[in-house]
Amino acid sequence: MSRNPAIARPVRQRRLQFAARLAAAILGGYAFTWGFIAAAMAVLFKAGMEFHDAEFLASALGLLLFLALFLYIVASRRRPAMIWLALLGGGALLAAAASLLQASVA
Amino acid sequence: MHDPTHAGWLLAAALAACLAGMGWLALGMDVHARQAWGRALSPAEARSLRLPGWLALVAGLGLCLGADHPSMAALVWVMALAVSALSVAFVLAWQARWLGVLAPWVRRAR
Amino acid sequence: MRQGESIVFQSFRQAMAWLHTWFGLVLGFVLMAAFFFGALSVFDREIDRWAIPSSRFEPQPMPSFEKVLRPAFERMQPLPASIEAMRPRVDGPMPAHYDSIAYWSAYTTHRDPVLALYAGYQVPGAKNPEELLLAEATIDPRDGRVLPNDQLKIGSGFFYPLHYSLTLDWKNLGFWIVGFSALVMLAALVSGVVMHRKLFRELFTFRPGKARLRSVLDLHNLTGVVALPFHFFFAFTGLVIFASTYYFPIGHTQLHELHELHEKHEAQELGLPHGRAGVPAGLANVDAMVAQAQRRWEARGMAGDVGFLVLQHVGDANGYVSVYRAGTDRIALVGQGVHFKASTGQLLREDPPTTAVGRVSEFLTGLHLQHFRHWLLRWLYVFGGLAGCACIATGLVFFVEKRKRQHARQGSQGARVVDALAVATVAGMGVAVLCMLVANRLLPEALPARGDWERHAFWGAWLLSLLHAAWRSGPVARGLPNPAWREQAWAIAVLAPLAVLLNWITTGDHLLRTLGAGYWPVAGLDLALLVVAVIAAASARRLGRRAGACSRDAAEDVEAAHA
Repeated sequence: MSRNPAIARPVRQRRLQFAARLAAAILGGYAFTWGFIAAAMAVLFKAGMEFHDAEFLASALGLLLFLALFLYIVASRRRPAMIWLALLGGGALLAAAASLLQASVA
Repeated sequence: MHDPTHAGWLLAAALAACLAGMGWLALGMDVHARQAWGRALSPAEARSLRLPGWLALVAGLGLCLGADHPSMAALVWVMALAVSALSVAFVLAWQARWLGVLAPWVRRAR
Repeated sequence: MRQGESIVFQSFRQAMAWLHTWFGLVLGFVLMAAFFFGALSVFDREIDRWAIPSSRFEPQPMPSFEKVLRPAFERMQPLPASIEAMRPRVDGPMPAHYDSIAYWSAYTTHRDPVLALYAGYQVPGAKNPEELLLAEATIDPRDGRVLPNDQLKIGSGFFYPLHYSLTLDWKNLGFWIVGFSALVMLAALVSGVVMHRKLFRELFTFRPGKARLRSVLDLHNLTGVVALPFHFFFAFTGLVIFASTYYFPIGHTQLHELHELHEKHEAQELGLPHGRAGVPAGLANVDAMVAQAQRRWEARGMAGDVGFLVLQHVGDANGYVSVYRAGTDRIALVGQGVHFKASTGQLLREDPPTTAVGRVSEFLTGLHLQHFRHWLLRWLYVFGGLAGCACIATGLVFFVEKRKRQHARQGSQGARVVDALAVATVAGMGVAVLCMLVANRLLPEALPARGDWERHAFWGAWLLSLLHAAWRSGPVARGLPNPAWREQAWAIAVLAPLAVLLNWITTGDHLLRTLGAGYWPVAGLDLALLVVAVIAAASARRLGRRAGACSRDAAEDVEAAHA
């Protein structure tokens, strides 16, 4: 069905979809990175690493992850809705894990 | 810790080594050999340039390490490589033949 | 692939090309500022010397606490403006005098003649009891004389914050803009590598003789690739340095409790109390503590100067004094902290060697902040920063050149707008800096809020540059170069020597004198200004010749068309 040029989506909708993908790369990527850094900090600290060391290592890795995600999402062919779901969902899960770990220690 | 004049000479030598190294590596490439000497290189000639090129860059690192604390030496070396590569590119852009001075054993095209 | 679903790229390379072009364009203007003012910040303290003639003396070591620092600290109080700013966050009246001192600190490097002092005061009734009222003062370490805070440190107090926050402090907006642009810089570097297939084969390729588009692209690739590790590491470490404070403040928000737990643990383990005991106590001789710290460093084979001195919980029984060694000879900023009980001078703790992760953190931070003594590396950093500027500038010029004629045919103003912004960013920044330096020399010494006037001069000049560039950009919409490039280059060629001349007239420190005395901070900046003038003049003449040729070609085309 979507291969029939006669019913190709209007240009405006395609541009909106693209904007949604860019927004996902930036904002969704940020959300997922936050979750990653929080989880990494909690895990490393629980495993015995000094707090500021854990904070630094998690942040450094998180930033590289953000970069990779950003590039991957811009080039991705997946639907923006799926991308948003994966990023926000994954980020939330990771953040939740971090808070759970914190509760178990503090 | 490191005697300053001594370190100064080592750093000057390190810069010279990186410059020579980048120059040789550039000359070992066909496109730049043509710019400098008007002809392509034989595989033996190319090797006679690339090998000293890499060795000079490594020597540059060694000289940097002799001058400073390793954490600083590494940074000095990386930046020296950058400024050397840029300098070689500028020489090639404006007076390519001058670069040939680095490898007097290579003859110009007749 | 589903056709018509959304805009998708045919390949990864195509996607990267799009990203590089459009994100590079939008954030390139911010990145130019970050790289340019970052490059200037390498010599920020030297620029301070030029801007504040009363501080033109030799760098000083950390002075005696008892003779110089203590009286200076005791005289410090927060500024009325800071008190007012905190009022909404405090229940009840704001005290007239602040005696509950959370900390006193002094930080110095081998490049500092004057010394910056910092103090934090507890505020009774503060909604967040951990929030402190801050105070800052700059003193002459030789006699404790306080420098008026009207005198703006143009280097360390303006150019430096400009490069990481555009001095846009409202809700930290500037930090976010620069942070995002740093991420885009990393993305632009990676995407640039993906696009530029012949990275090593074309490493030395620069063909100024070829068509403009090709030679501009060659220069863009060259300046981007040769300093690729520099560009990547500076953008990356810049992000890492601010990550836990601004971009991902997880330790202060979501994992705040974990942070608290760590602080309590550390206070117990290290014997360095986290909070006040509430019991007043005196202060033993701090100079003796500093001397002991220096002996301990020497015993470890790393004799050194004091870089950082902190007194925590001043006047309280829990108070302690920390002495840190300046990292003049290595990348780490400060280290080897030795801690003493404030009331007795008893040694509490000597910091053990840092953990592996801690060493990496110190290396990455120190690499960026550069408090080490290594003049060659410092100049190589300036080279790297300027290479970054050249890369971004050539990128912008390439964007305009590639689309200029096409836009002219289509009647689009796109290339014109980008070109005007490019002039304002590349040349305009230089004009603004020079106008600020000229204003610095022309304004009366005792003018109140002198620093504010200097800042106005800077921003005003930059705005004028933008307006001038926009006004003169008409030809770009016809596919021709913008004369503003040449005109602003001439402005720079005139302003730079003017600044040097004004320095001579107003302070008497002309080049022969400063070079003769070996006072490099001022001599260096004066020389740099003259070099800038020469380069600007040469560029302006070259642009003028090219414009002449262009208009001759255009005139010939018109004649040919009429014939």
